[in-house]
Amino acid sequence: MLAASVAERDGTISDVEFERFRDFFYRKTGIRFENNKRYFVDKRLLERMQQTGHESFRSYFTFMRFQASRDELQELINSMTVNETYFFREEYQFKCMVDELLNEVVRHKSPGESIRIWSLPSSSGEEPYSIALYLLEHWPLLAKVDVEICSSDIDSKILQSCRKGIYSQRSVKQLPKALLKRHFKPLSGDRFQIDRELRESIQFTQANLNDATQMRRYRNFDLIFCRNLLIYFDDASRRQAAELFYDALNPGGFIFLGHSESMSRISSLFSVRKFSKALAYQKPLR
Amino acid sequence: MGLRKRAVEDELETVVLERGYETLLLALRSESALNRRDAVRELSAYPQAVTDLLNTLTSEPEHAVREALLGALQQLGGEPVVAGLITLLRSEDAVLRNGAIEVLQTMPEGVALHMLELLNDRDSDVRIFAIDILQQLAHPQAPEWLLSVLKDETHINVVSTAVDRLAEVGRAEMVPELMAIKQRFPKEAYLAFAVDLACRRIEEV
Repeated sequence: MLAASVAERDGTISDVEFERFRDFFYRKTGIRFENNKRYFVDKRLLERMQQTGHESFRSYFTFMRFQASRDELQELINSMTVNETYFFREEYQFKCMVDELLNEVVRHKSPGESIRIWSLPSSSGEEPYSIALYLLEHWPLLAKVDVEICSSDIDSKILQSCRKGIYSQRSVKQLPKALLKRHFKPLSGDRFQIDRELRESIQFTQANLNDATQMRRYRNFDLIFCRNLLIYFDDASRRQAAELFYDALNPGGFIFLGHSESMSRISSLFSVRKFSKALAYQKPLR
Repeated sequence: MGLRKRAVEDELETVVLERGYETLLLALRSESALNRRDAVRELSAYPQAVTDLLNTLTSEPEHAVREALLGALQQLGGEPVVAGLITLLRSEDAVLRNGAIEVLQTMPEGVALHMLELLNDRDSDVRIFAIDILQQLAHPQAPEWLLSVLKDETHINVVSTAVDRLAEVGRAEMVPELMAIKQRFPKEAYLAFAVDLACRRIEEV
C-alpha cells in the first residue's frame, strides 16, 4: 500500500500528519502547537492510537473525527492539555482580590446581590480552591456578601479530579501549615483532601473557549481569572477569548491574566487598572 | 452569607437556542448594542456574512460592537475579508483604520497578494499604512517589500516610515540601500539620523 502512513510503518507521525492534526486541533480548540511541541504532540497521539487500537495515524484520525459520541476527541483534548499548577500560585493577585478589587466590586452591588467569580482553566482545581481559601481566610466581607465561584476546563477528566479535591504535597507546598490543617484532611501517601464544604462550594464545568454557542452560557461575572492559558493561543484565538471575556463580565468587571500575558496586546476592549499589588483589566462601567 | 453554589448551575444548563442566519442579520440593526454584538459574535460562524459584517463595520458607532466585528472578520478570514479591510485604509476614522490594520497584520498570506499594489498606491497615507501592516506581518518577504520602498519611493514620510521598520526587520545586506537614502535626501537631517540608527540596529543583530 503506497499511501501507508509513516505511523503505520514505524510508529511515528510524519510531518504531513502532524500538520493535519495541528490544523484540526486548532480549529477545534484554538490551541496551536508550534514545531517545538512536536515531541509532546507525537507522544500523546501515539499513546491514543495505541489505546484505541489504531495502527496508523490515518485510521485513528478518521475514527476520532467521525466518532458519533465524540468521546475520543475529548480524550485527545484531555491528553493534549497541560494540567500543572499549585495552591496560591501568583499569590499577589489573590491578595489584590481581597484587599482592593472585591471591595470595589461590592460598592456597585445591590443589597443581597452575589459576587460571581470565574476561574479558567480550572486545571486540577488549585486555582479555584485558592480563590475560595483566600476569601474565607482574608476577606471579612464574606460574612455579609455571597460569592459564587465557577471554574471551567476543556478537559472533562480533570474536572472529576477537581471535584474530588485530592492533592499531593507538591501542590500544597505554598500553603501556610495552619491553613492546611484547617481546610484539608491528610490522606495516605502524603496526599491531602480539601474540606467537603469547600469542594461543594465551587461549580466545575466543562467549557471550550472555541465553542461560541457554549460560551454564551457564561455571563454576569464580576471577576475572571484566566492565567497562563492565552499563551497557548494564536492572535486570532486570543482576540476571540477577549471577546468572550468581555461578554461574560458585568460592566466594571475585572480579569486577571498570567504575569507574562497582556490584554493590551490582544484587545482594546478593556482598560488597565493598577492596584497596589497587581494589574487587572477592567471592562468599562458603562 | 459566604461561598455559595447556586443558580450558576441552572444558568449553565439553560439551553441556548440557535438563531437562524436571517434573524442574525436583522439583529445587526437592533437598537441595543448588546444585541448587535451578540449577533456579530454568532455571525462569525457564517462565511456568507462577510459583506454584511464589513458594511456594518463602517456605520457601527459602538466600540465594543466594532471590536466584535473585527474579531468576527478575523475569524472568517479569506480574500473578501482582506479586500474589504484594505478599503478601510482610506477611512477618515483613525480607530477603524487602526483596527483594520491590526487584523490585516494577522493575515500574511492574504495580504501578500495586495502588498505591492498598496505600496504603489497613489495616496501616500495608504502607502504608510501598508508599511504599518508590514511592521507586524509574519511574512518572509516583508524585508524585501520594505527595501523596494527605499528604492522607489519619493515621499519623505513614506521613506522615513520604511526606514524605521527596517531597523527592526532589516538584514546586513540591506545596509547599502539604507545608506543610499542619505544621498537621495541630503537635506533631511532626521532621515539621516534614522538611517544611521537603523544601520546600527541591523549590525548589532
